[in-house]
Amino acid sequence: MPLKRFAVPGNLKELSKEGLKAWSARLSELFDAVAEPPGRHFYNPTKSDTPPDASVAAVTWPAAPGRLLSQRLAPERRWEIADGDRNQQDEYCEWSVLRDGNKVVRVTFTSETPDYYDHLMDVDQKLLVDLYESATGQDVSLDDLRSGSHGIFEAANAFNSRTDGPIVHLMQGSNNLRAAVILAAEATVLRKGKDGKSVSHPQTLVVCGGLGDERRHSDPRIAAAVNNLVAKRFEITLQDPPGLYLDRFVTTGMTTPDGTDARTFWTVERGDPGHVVRARFAAPVALGYAVGAIKLGGRRIVAGAQLAERLSVRIEAVARAASFQPKRQPCVAGSGL
Amino acid sequence: MAPVTAKAGDETCMVFNTIKGAPQGRVVRFVVGEDKQPREMTQAETEAELGDPFATLLLNKGVFPSTAAELLDAVDARVGANHPLGPSSHMSFVLGEGSQIPLADATPSTNAGLRFLVSRGSGPKGPDLIISTPGPDIAFVEVMAWDKKRKGFNYYRSAGPKRWAFAGNSRHALTPPTKGKGPFESHPSGNLIMKELRLPWVHWHSFEVDIFEDAFPKGDSRRKHPWFTQKLGAEICETAVVMPSITRWTEARLNQVVAANGTVTDPARVVEQIVTTPTVNLASSSRESKGAGPLDLPPGFFVDFDGLSRIGLPGPPGFSVSRAIYAKSLKTFDFRLDDGDGFVQPGDTHFAFVVPERAFEDTETLAQAVDRGLITRRLAAALLMVDFPNPVFSARRASLLKHAPKTATIKSGKSTYSDDMANAIIAAAAATPANSPEKEFVDRWNKAATLPGPLGDELEAYYDAIAKKLKTQAGFDDFVRLAESQRKRVRDQTRLVESLLLFPTTDVDDDERRAMKRDATVVLVSA
Repeated sequence: MPLKRFAVPGNLKELSKEGLKAWSARLSELFDAVAEPPGRHFYNPTKSDTPPDASVAAVTWPAAPGRLLSQRLAPERRWEIADGDRNQQDEYCEWSVLRDGNKVVRVTFTSETPDYYDHLMDVDQKLLVDLYESATGQDVSLDDLRSGSHGIFEAANAFNSRTDGPIVHLMQGSNNLRAAVILAAEATVLRKGKDGKSVSHPQTLVVCGGLGDERRHSDPRIAAAVNNLVAKRFEITLQDPPGLYLDRFVTTGMTTPDGTDARTFWTVERGDPGHVVRARFAAPVALGYAVGAIKLGGRRIVAGAQLAERLSVRIEAVARAASFQPKRQPCVAGSGL
Repeated sequence: MAPVTAKAGDETCMVFNTIKGAPQGRVVRFVVGEDKQPREMTQAETEAELGDPFATLLLNKGVFPSTAAELLDAVDARVGANHPLGPSSHMSFVLGEGSQIPLADATPSTNAGLRFLVSRGSGPKGPDLIISTPGPDIAFVEVMAWDKKRKGFNYYRSAGPKRWAFAGNSRHALTPPTKGKGPFESHPSGNLIMKELRLPWVHWHSFEVDIFEDAFPKGDSRRKHPWFTQKLGAEICETAVVMPSITRWTEARLNQVVAANGTVTDPARVVEQIVTTPTVNLASSSRESKGAGPLDLPPGFFVDFDGLSRIGLPGPPGFSVSRAIYAKSLKTFDFRLDDGDGFVQPGDTHFAFVVPERAFEDTETLAQAVDRGLITRRLAAALLMVDFPNPVFSARRASLLKHAPKTATIKSGKSTYSDDMANAIIAAAAATPANSPEKEFVDRWNKAATLPGPLGDELEAYYDAIAKKLKTQAGFDDFVRLAESQRKRVRDQTRLVESLLLFPTTDVDDDERRAMKRDATVVLVSA
């Protein structure tokens, strides 16, 4: 039996029945649209059955920007750039660093896509404002969250663009659920190079299929995971609730001044335990020291990006067995492959 | 009762393959260098010497598993589900030098080295039990287990079904007669080794590239084993297993050598890790060799970026080479993967340009020695900046080790050790030729009074020169020749090469030894 309805990212329960229904309809429309072009092996689970023996593949990658890592800058420079501009944080995870002087006090991470907040603008503007006020601790008006004469929701609004204070959801241009769904669907097209050999390695596949930026961690990872399942004759969709989630956060090796296990400093702010979309890392005030006093790999924690390098982001693909004859298409024009 | 024996005179790690007559149900002690031959330990001896969980939970209780899966089943049976060593702390990782080669093209040798690394333990300092094995059900197992009582990792090797040899503790790596022998050939400072430590972890399963089940032959049970199907990426192994384990042992070791009155035992052993190359990590481009677009090059090939940046000197700006120049170089030098058993594939390793760089364990030792006040930033900068264009295998820098004072004292986080060593080199320099390492050190020492200062300027000039060379075919080709020379040293001077597929095979004349100069030219040097 097909899925009755898409849930909202994080399995959040704050939306009305009508709002939930409208969210599902919105996603269903997107899934239909991206599944349609020939050669794709992607389906809408609210329209088509996902059998019990379908498997779920958790696809993970580091939250720190791959494009910056591949520039091979000195670590301090890399962290400074990543912390200083949310537009650099393009792995479906963004963060903001609260400091006391130069000392890191709290780092808040989010993987919550703006699509949901855009939806709230359409269906529940009071909830939208409430969520913003709750996250920022400031008075927020609807107009603060809109741009242009048509009042379109602006993900990069003033309350959600900071690098040094509260953070509500993702805002970087590539960090949205729509882009992730499109990538997963487009990656179901099998490819071959000029030599006729199959193209399956992550970075090369992204270039060949025109699937995004091969220097990111996320695009090659998602594309290759999906594409390799299709090569084994599976059809793909995303696990409900479709979304990007904060996954494993490695605190092993962190040395705190009083020996407290740093894993206890990680607090989930939004999302159910299996679908975390916002979390913070901060030492309890009672301990008398801040995150900046913690040592990691011989260095003090001086940046949120240091922590992002130890945090994984996850999307879940569902694979159902299918009976199609895999047919590979040439790489897209201009790929050089 | 027949005695336990091993090949006489063999002090390499291979000697464990020659153990004969090990009894079931008794630990054999074979700390090469200390034990001429393997010998049975008594129950009292094992209880006194072995304080790690493998010993305390299993061996000392008479439980002798044959395989890694049996070992962990036995641990689980004793500790229960919620124990820090229990199944919830389980992590498995997979690596193999031939793992990106399609099975259809492979020979039996291509993927013979596929192996698992499995860890247990959820403490903040890292796992307590680390296992390396070709497969969960294969009776060839290596174990490292943290000894809470005596600190350091205890090293074990299976010696046949239900037979185990204790091969030493991390501390045995540091001093004669056990230094450099047995397992400490490849673990020269007693640390856990992950030679491909940094992104993109060439040869490991990671988020950067999968190792698929078809790396194993059809019908191989490892394909469906949970250790394989639920494996984690090398990025997790780096941050959650290897780096914390290295930090843990380095911390414990330095705690042990500094006495309550501040006296430091064998401080020169710390200097050894700064000026010599006891081991290396392997780094590579983050780009696939068969992909498109420019290739970033590993900065550790050009300079000790991690060590220098920790003491306040500038790291490189990030180096890259165009795909066209790289591709031409592959043809010029006939790059190929060759497993020595008939498999030959044109091109480079999956991730391009694999080269050695300074090992994290040595950088970590330097960082902790600076933190504790044994080594000053000035001395560290002066030492690392001697022959800085050759961050590994520098004979010039290594020659300064002989001036390291044999005694040191740390009081209130300060020591005169750095000044003592600098003064010893300065005194010796007067009687050395103009181009001697000692005279170079004196220049560095004087300039290191201010950091980054003039040393920073020299580094910046060096980085500019490299960037210019990388824009030309001839310049990059020279770096390729240097890279091959460095790979040869890894083959010759370390025990890290377990497969011919670790590195590409090339037509660069590998009898030639090369080095980098400060103007980024590559020159031949005498061996």
